[in-house]
Amino acid sequence: MPSKTPGQAPGKAIIAIVIAVLVLLALLVPPLGGDYYVHLLALVFTNVILAASLRPSLTCGQLNIGHSGFMSIGAYTSALLAKHFGLPFELSLLSGAIVAALVGVVIGYPALRLRGVYFAMVTVAFVEVIRLIAQIWVPLTRGMSGLSGVPKPNLLGITLTTKASQYYLALGLMLLILAILYKLERSRLGLIWRSIGMADPLAQSLGVNIAAHKLLAFMIGCFFAGVAGAFYAHFIRFLFPPEFGFLMATNILVYNYVGGRGHFVGAIVGAMFLSLLSEPFRGSAYETIFFSIAMLLTILFLPGGLITLPGKLAGLRSWRAASAPSPSPAG
Amino acid sequence: MPLLATRQLTKRFGGLAAVNQVDLTVEPGAIVGLIGPNGAGKTTCFNLLSGFLRPTTGSITFDGEDITGWRPHRITARGLVRTFQHTTLFHDMTALENVLLGLHLSSRLGIGTVLLSRRVYPPDEVARAREVLELTGLGAHADQPARSLPHGHQRVLGIAMALAARPRLLLLDEPVTGMNLDESGRVMSLVKEIRDRGTTILLVEHNMKAVMGTCEHIVVLNFGQKLAEGTPAEVSTSRDVIQAYLGAGIAHA
Amino acid sequence: MTASLLVQSAVIGLSIGSIYILMALGLTLMFGMMHIINFAHGAVYMLGAYVIYYVFFQSGAPYFVSFVVAMVLLGVFGYLVERSIYRPVKGGIEPTLVALLALTTFLQAAGYPVFGQLDKHVPPVFEGTKNVLGVMVSVERLVIIPIAAALVVGLYLFINKTKMGAAMRAIEQDKEAAALQGVNVHVVNGLAFAIGFALAAASGALMAPIFKLDPMMGEQPLLKAFIIIILGGLGSIPGAIVGGLMLGLIDSIVATALGAEPAFLLSFVFIILVLLFKPTGLFGYAQ
Repeated sequence: MPSKTPGQAPGKAIIAIVIAVLVLLALLVPPLGGDYYVHLLALVFTNVILAASLRPSLTCGQLNIGHSGFMSIGAYTSALLAKHFGLPFELSLLSGAIVAALVGVVIGYPALRLRGVYFAMVTVAFVEVIRLIAQIWVPLTRGMSGLSGVPKPNLLGITLTTKASQYYLALGLMLLILAILYKLERSRLGLIWRSIGMADPLAQSLGVNIAAHKLLAFMIGCFFAGVAGAFYAHFIRFLFPPEFGFLMATNILVYNYVGGRGHFVGAIVGAMFLSLLSEPFRGSAYETIFFSIAMLLTILFLPGGLITLPGKLAGLRSWRAASAPSPSPAG
Repeated sequence: MPLLATRQLTKRFGGLAAVNQVDLTVEPGAIVGLIGPNGAGKTTCFNLLSGFLRPTTGSITFDGEDITGWRPHRITARGLVRTFQHTTLFHDMTALENVLLGLHLSSRLGIGTVLLSRRVYPPDEVARAREVLELTGLGAHADQPARSLPHGHQRVLGIAMALAARPRLLLLDEPVTGMNLDESGRVMSLVKEIRDRGTTILLVEHNMKAVMGTCEHIVVLNFGQKLAEGTPAEVSTSRDVIQAYLGAGIAHA
Repeated sequence: MTASLLVQSAVIGLSIGSIYILMALGLTLMFGMMHIINFAHGAVYMLGAYVIYYVFFQSGAPYFVSFVVAMVLLGVFGYLVERSIYRPVKGGIEPTLVALLALTTFLQAAGYPVFGQLDKHVPPVFEGTKNVLGVMVSVERLVIIPIAAALVVGLYLFINKTKMGAAMRAIEQDKEAAALQGVNVHVVNGLAFAIGFALAAASGALMAPIFKLDPMMGEQPLLKAFIIIILGGLGSIPGAIVGGLMLGLIDSIVATALGAEPAFLLSFVFIILVLLFKPTGLFGYAQ
């Protein structure tokens, strides 16, 4: 598993440098790249938040195929509050996240008792319910005409009119959320989630209230999906119910699997890799074809995801080097 | 006052009573064996005591407190901890991490404290976990992944994890089944050592030699009911018990 | 709602219900044996319909030949999916579900470039109408009922009267014990995949002359089949039949009265409630 093989455990300093360089590069995109990249990357950041926010639940062993439903709730809540009540962005975003988390508790409290397939089916039905409500409740959501005229985001009363400023907002939100989620995952709480995912009767017998912890993990994920949805609403400024349907929910799951579920960076790598590489086909059938093939190939040939690729390649090389002269080390 | 007492404990699955009106008492500081032919209801009994199953009727009292119908984690928190019949471990983690989990899974925590705390494993807990590993004879394997340990060590690691949760009563589900004579001897002396350090033991085991040699008090179940109880000598000469074992077609040595 | 409209919805409901049952049977069979939900079932239904379009309509083969071709082709495809996806992940439920999801989205998306962006239509196979209890109903819809019934009876006989069927039941009871008794679990699972896929293809093939064809056409029947197997209890074959008949009837009456989308919404809310409060299904056919 990760962090055990020497090749995969670079020192803290190196990690800090890599992160600093990446953030610096991200900061330089608006002055150096065009509006196209600024727009694209802001959406990629949203996808990263979505993918990472699915992890707490996945770590607990709960297959959630309805995460985009919570994104949708965050998006519509924030958009409607800002549009009709003039709520400042900070508050509407927070409200969107809180409403998503509350709905998460209402659905999660009974659903998290269910295991495996049963839980997955509830989440599938859930994402369809949310989509259909958004389609049918025309007076509120404008249904299939789409909700337009969502105000641009503002911070401390200043409206972020340029794409560049909105990009920095997305970057900031992403970094903050990643930091929180990473810290949670690396804490005792994250260990408890892992223990539930690995063997829940054992965790229970060692004193873990698994119902409460699964609910907490689920709720945290819903909250941040709500944040991602709210940002998306004010960034794209147009909401269309099917955008948050089953396909989006599947994509969030795919980011995690293709990136690799064994480590936190898996979600980030998966979301970045897939959203950037599928960009040329965005909106066409080929985008989905690309996603599905990436997914199938990963499950069949790289079950640990992209993050295990360097280790595997290194292993292959050292195996080649070692295979000729000496016998394998004694076990 | 007994540490553990059940009154008329009953569990029905459909029409079938897997455990039927069992009165069981465990005195503090004892090593009690729960035996019986296959399907006698021993494991169901363990599941009831540890909260994994809810009794149909009857009550369970632990240390003077009625714990009937409590969920497993609450029962563990009170000091009644179980192990599992089949090796159940966190396979991807090292032996030390497994024990550390046993140590602190039970501690209460909120998101706030988690976000502010600096270390995942506080040094005093690591020290305590190493102590538990030394006690159980796994000290040399602390940093080995659980999945790579030999079967016998894995079973002992299961006991070590339960110990880390600081039990006052430890329920051991078939601790030496499938082990050779040498291994089972070591595990049974470990069980005695655990008791001598102040933890009461209730164990289910098929290996009669191990049970007779270790337990001071034995309870025999048959078809979900208590058939006999007493010292190993009393039980092993009981006509009812011998017949139950022969009747079930199983003649354990 | 007049009496004749009611009779008409009932007959239509019965024929649609038969389609749902065929879909649900495969799903529930696969769940019973492997504890997986075949998300690709709707996509297979879609492929079954397209086989009819190409073999029957474009190439002019007789309808029943095309029908059998659809079942056989997709049955083989099902077996291959077992070999190339289910078997390599070694029974891991979560990766299997995700892989099947990916297969589904792949087949649907690939449908657009392969079959074309435009909806396809298959001309009617059975012309005319028949008088049922004083109401005229198209033969096309009526004929679905006996064909579906024949397939259901065939499946029933296969499962209960053949050696392979016995092996399937054994795996459903206890996989390890079945393997110990010499049942080749892989082959039998592959057969379950093949049967499930063939039944889904049959449903699509039966519906091809009635509905327009597009790559997403399988979504609706898949979701209906989910509802049925949840109502009937996952893994229960009688549950799937009763649930299918009920849903077919309720569906066509409710959709006539309320409109399609609200009816759909209600059915999802219903699924969630059943899953949450009675996960063994409404009729108690628990395993």
